[in-house]
Amino acid sequence: MSLNDTLKNLRENGIDEAKRAERLQELNDLRVNLLGKKGPITKALRGMKDVPAEERPEIGTLANNVKKDIQEAIEEKMSELNKKLVAKKLEEEKIDVTLPATKQTQGTRHILNQTIEDIEQFFIGLGYEVAGGYEVEEDHYNFERLNIPKDHPARDMQDTFYLSDELLMRTQTSAQEGRDMEAHDFSKGPLKMISPGVVYRRDDDDATHSHQFHQIEGLVVDKNISMADLKGTLDALCRHVFGPDREIRFRPSYFPFTEPSVEVDVSCFNCGGEGCRICKYTGWIEVLGAGLTHPNVLKMSGIDPNEYSGMAFGLGPERFAMLKYGVTDIRDFYLNDVRFLEQFKGVN
Amino acid sequence: MKISVNWLKEYIPVTHTVEEMADKISLTGIESGPVSLGEKLSGLVVGHITSVKPHPDSDHLKVCMVDVGESEDIQIVCGAPNAAADQYVIVALHGAHLPDGTKIKRGKLRGQESNGMICGLDEVGVPEKYMPEEFENGIYVFDEPQKPGVAVYDLLGLKDQMIDIDITPNRADTLGMRGAAWEIGATYDEKPVFKKPELDATKVKDMNDVTVDVEEKDLVPDYLIRELKDITVGKSPLWMQRRLWNQDIRPVNSVIDAANYVMIEYGQPIQAYDLDKLQDKKLVVKFAKDGDKFKIADEEKTLTHDDLIIASGNEIVGLAGVDNGSIAAVDENTKNVLLESGVFNSTSVRKTAQRHDLRGDDSTRFEKGVDNGAVDEALVRATQLVDESSNASEISNVITGNLTKAEPTIIKGKISHINHLMGLQLTTDEIVKILDRLGFTVDVSDDDIVVTIPTRRWDMAIEADLVEEVNRIYGYENLPNTLPAGMETRGGYSAKREFSNKLRNVLLGEGLDEVINYSLLSKQEVEDFNVIKTEYTKLLHPMTEDHEYLRNSLIPGLVRNIAYNQARKNDDLGIFEQARIFDRPTGQDRPNEVEYISGAVSGNVLNASWNTEDKAADFYYVKGIVDELLSFTNADAKFEYEATDEYDNMHPGQTAKILANGQVIGFVGKLHPNYQSDHSVADTFVFELNIDMMFDLNSKNVQAQSAPKYPSISRDLAILVEKDIENGQIVTDIFENGGKYLQDVKIFDVYQGKNIKPNHKSLGYHLEFLNPNDTLTDDEVEKAFSLVKNSLIQKFNVEIR
Repeated sequence: MSLNDTLKNLRENGIDEAKRAERLQELNDLRVNLLGKKGPITKALRGMKDVPAEERPEIGTLANNVKKDIQEAIEEKMSELNKKLVAKKLEEEKIDVTLPATKQTQGTRHILNQTIEDIEQFFIGLGYEVAGGYEVEEDHYNFERLNIPKDHPARDMQDTFYLSDELLMRTQTSAQEGRDMEAHDFSKGPLKMISPGVVYRRDDDDATHSHQFHQIEGLVVDKNISMADLKGTLDALCRHVFGPDREIRFRPSYFPFTEPSVEVDVSCFNCGGEGCRICKYTGWIEVLGAGLTHPNVLKMSGIDPNEYSGMAFGLGPERFAMLKYGVTDIRDFYLNDVRFLEQFKGVN
Repeated sequence: MKISVNWLKEYIPVTHTVEEMADKISLTGIESGPVSLGEKLSGLVVGHITSVKPHPDSDHLKVCMVDVGESEDIQIVCGAPNAAADQYVIVALHGAHLPDGTKIKRGKLRGQESNGMICGLDEVGVPEKYMPEEFENGIYVFDEPQKPGVAVYDLLGLKDQMIDIDITPNRADTLGMRGAAWEIGATYDEKPVFKKPELDATKVKDMNDVTVDVEEKDLVPDYLIRELKDITVGKSPLWMQRRLWNQDIRPVNSVIDAANYVMIEYGQPIQAYDLDKLQDKKLVVKFAKDGDKFKIADEEKTLTHDDLIIASGNEIVGLAGVDNGSIAAVDENTKNVLLESGVFNSTSVRKTAQRHDLRGDDSTRFEKGVDNGAVDEALVRATQLVDESSNASEISNVITGNLTKAEPTIIKGKISHINHLMGLQLTTDEIVKILDRLGFTVDVSDDDIVVTIPTRRWDMAIEADLVEEVNRIYGYENLPNTLPAGMETRGGYSAKREFSNKLRNVLLGEGLDEVINYSLLSKQEVEDFNVIKTEYTKLLHPMTEDHEYLRNSLIPGLVRNIAYNQARKNDDLGIFEQARIFDRPTGQDRPNEVEYISGAVSGNVLNASWNTEDKAADFYYVKGIVDELLSFTNADAKFEYEATDEYDNMHPGQTAKILANGQVIGFVGKLHPNYQSDHSVADTFVFELNIDMMFDLNSKNVQAQSAPKYPSISRDLAILVEKDIENGQIVTDIFENGGKYLQDVKIFDVYQGKNIKPNHKSLGYHLEFLNPNDTLTDDEVEKAFSLVKNSLIQKFNVEIR
């Protein structure tokens, strides 16, 4: 057999063997056996010396092509086997994605704090500062400075937890008004603040009463504050909290520290104003109290009511949360059953 | 108070339904609701009993023939003991509906035909407690003949339309029909018209037989009396009775009813005394003496020296403005009567009424104020009504104990300022017109107005009151929505609030739920966790023992939450609270309010599932949470844990104080097993940290560094050391001797027990060395490592393994 034929035979057999291989190892062996230094191609090429000189380049080229073709056949087969292997592995690794997850838990913010922070963020956006305040307050700030003199019925002992003649658990976050007005430098611009916090009343705890609850007081004092400003601000707040289609209305009311004083109703978010159980078939739900700061309150803080005016409002996060989420017992907020708490994950 | 539309019509025209009116009044003035009495009533007419026979088969039933305006009398069987011939009564005809839903049907009672029912007042809608006592156990009988067959509703006020107003304390001027007419009139732009009461001039004369002495003139600015002689007490007219029972006032007799009627009409309480029952023909208004007794119907009250009384001789005949007691009460035998109209100090009345649990129609009005301009007229009106129904022979002129001239209030204001406070631009005319609707007179001079307010609106005092009146009558619904348009302000939280928000977010991220607890604790609870060693702060008048003291730790609340949840099978819990505790230094009245953040973990932190195993909470898990919290403080401080057994209710071997630069800022540890079992909680690990102290630490000045480009070299170290030596000591020593390239020391093994010397433990550490600027050599590392080992051998006598 001529060298030429030997090489062609080797090619044919090599490619054939590669195609028949079933395992990667076979292919590796084939490569070493056929193409290695001790392999038949190398061996066959030793017979080159017997080839006439003018044929040698042709044979050389043929030998290289044979090597290349076998190499390609092996690689092609290897790639094919590899694909099968991966496919098999993937098949084996298939899992049941409906099995439960490995638990990852974030805690849930208390719904009252979520409600408070939602309202805080709204007012921060309007340029209000969030002020703290004392939970143990002086009679002076909690009452006197809010135009509630000594003999006023609102100061009866049965409504207030006193610590001494002069100290008490604040009954309203409005107690912060006097302190904030005193501290504010009006030459630097208007006073715009909200003051969220805990307040206390001498009430028996039941489904709708709590001896401890939260309030958010709002106060703006500037040269041009009007009832229309109060209405616009609270309208925007109620739309923010209860939905963009809500409207508000003012009803005359009475608080010693505001004049005029109003109760604020929001159109019922459940029935849209047509009347339902939640709004007691009136179409409106009372949500907060507000008014223009009483001139006496301004005067007591050294502010001239002829030059400045103020608006104030007070709202109850418990009431907001009860309305918005249908909580029917105020005590649920303070029992802290985690099944109650966790249902509010991410609502605000 | 309920405003009867029929009554209101005497003063102003009424053209709207009560529903419409109540809505409108709510929006312009006073919260109101419509009341329609007797909506379901039908088939009730006047009947005239023409004959009564006993029932043949019953000893208490009667067979009555009744003229109901039809061609023939109808037969009705009646069981009322007071039914008798020739009475004019209420008949419910066949097919009639009663308020309780009963439908009257023709039928037979023990064999006798009955074509309807003769009714009592309570059966047709007048509550038993407000109907005249004489009819309590029987049918109602008209005092005067009525036309048979006529519907009874108007006669008895059974279908009255009313507006129930719920006043705010400043609007007591509407606690009388006349004041309410002004308010409702202003809403509808109708000025009310009132008749002036007049006495029969021929009977009026000066009398000198009764004198009045007001000792406390400051508290009793007005005190007027009139005397009526030789009256005949009887029943008051039906029109008055029906108005009273619809006001929830029981008609009693012609004198008491007239007094009550005037209270509703004018808002001015009137008292009546039987002159012949007075010990002395003199009334003295003064303070009681401690221990004085005051008799009312079936009770005796013991008075204090703060109670204002009306005395006669040494007897107390009235508690001023509250109740007139039983000693001189007017009854059907009264011949000579004194009527009293006065003004009593609101605080004094409120406190006396509260003290003796005697709040009522009178005291409510004095508490909130009455129109001192109407005291005299109301007394004239009451006198007139008593005279009309009880026919006095002589009436005295006013006997004055004290009288303060009623002056109108003058308020000055500016049109521009009023507009400016409303956010409107009303014309002067518009504003003047609104004030005129309210019955205020206005003098205008350019921008200035001077408004004269009648005494009936004693709530009006300053310009802001005018703003409210104008704005509400103009209509709040007509206000534009604007926002304050001043200089721009920067909104936001305080730095400390930002800080605590950040810490709360860390704990939420760690999987703890946020809770909110009460600040008021029981005595036991404040004693349980007085870790901060504060004086307790106690309420003067607590409601319950559970909420008596201000909290000095957040832990008792968290433990209560854990117990509550675990009792409901919520076993695995991680919770935290951020709130204030109250720290009162000795000698200081006011406690300092300190922000704290505390957490508790109980049960499993990871539950067994198809691919995981249970992991129970332990000290180190909670310590990990604390570590993360501390790292988020961004404080440039050295934080350490120091074992402590000082805290009574904490496990003495599993509790550590947390220190920042050597100062205690909190603690972490396991609850004491006894405390746990006392409170029915499973193994629970808690921590508490003082936010104020952490906030005050200097923050780190972070300068960015590139991540290291050179590889680190590590060494492992296993040592045998005495059991009581703490890891913290070893780590500190390793760092002290490990040289500047020692980056990190991690403990990877703690072992004690088998194959280890008694009282010893084996510890394994992994040390990581790194030079950020160059490749470290093994020589450099080896040198540092030997220094570390030598020091440990010398200081702690460790055995290197």
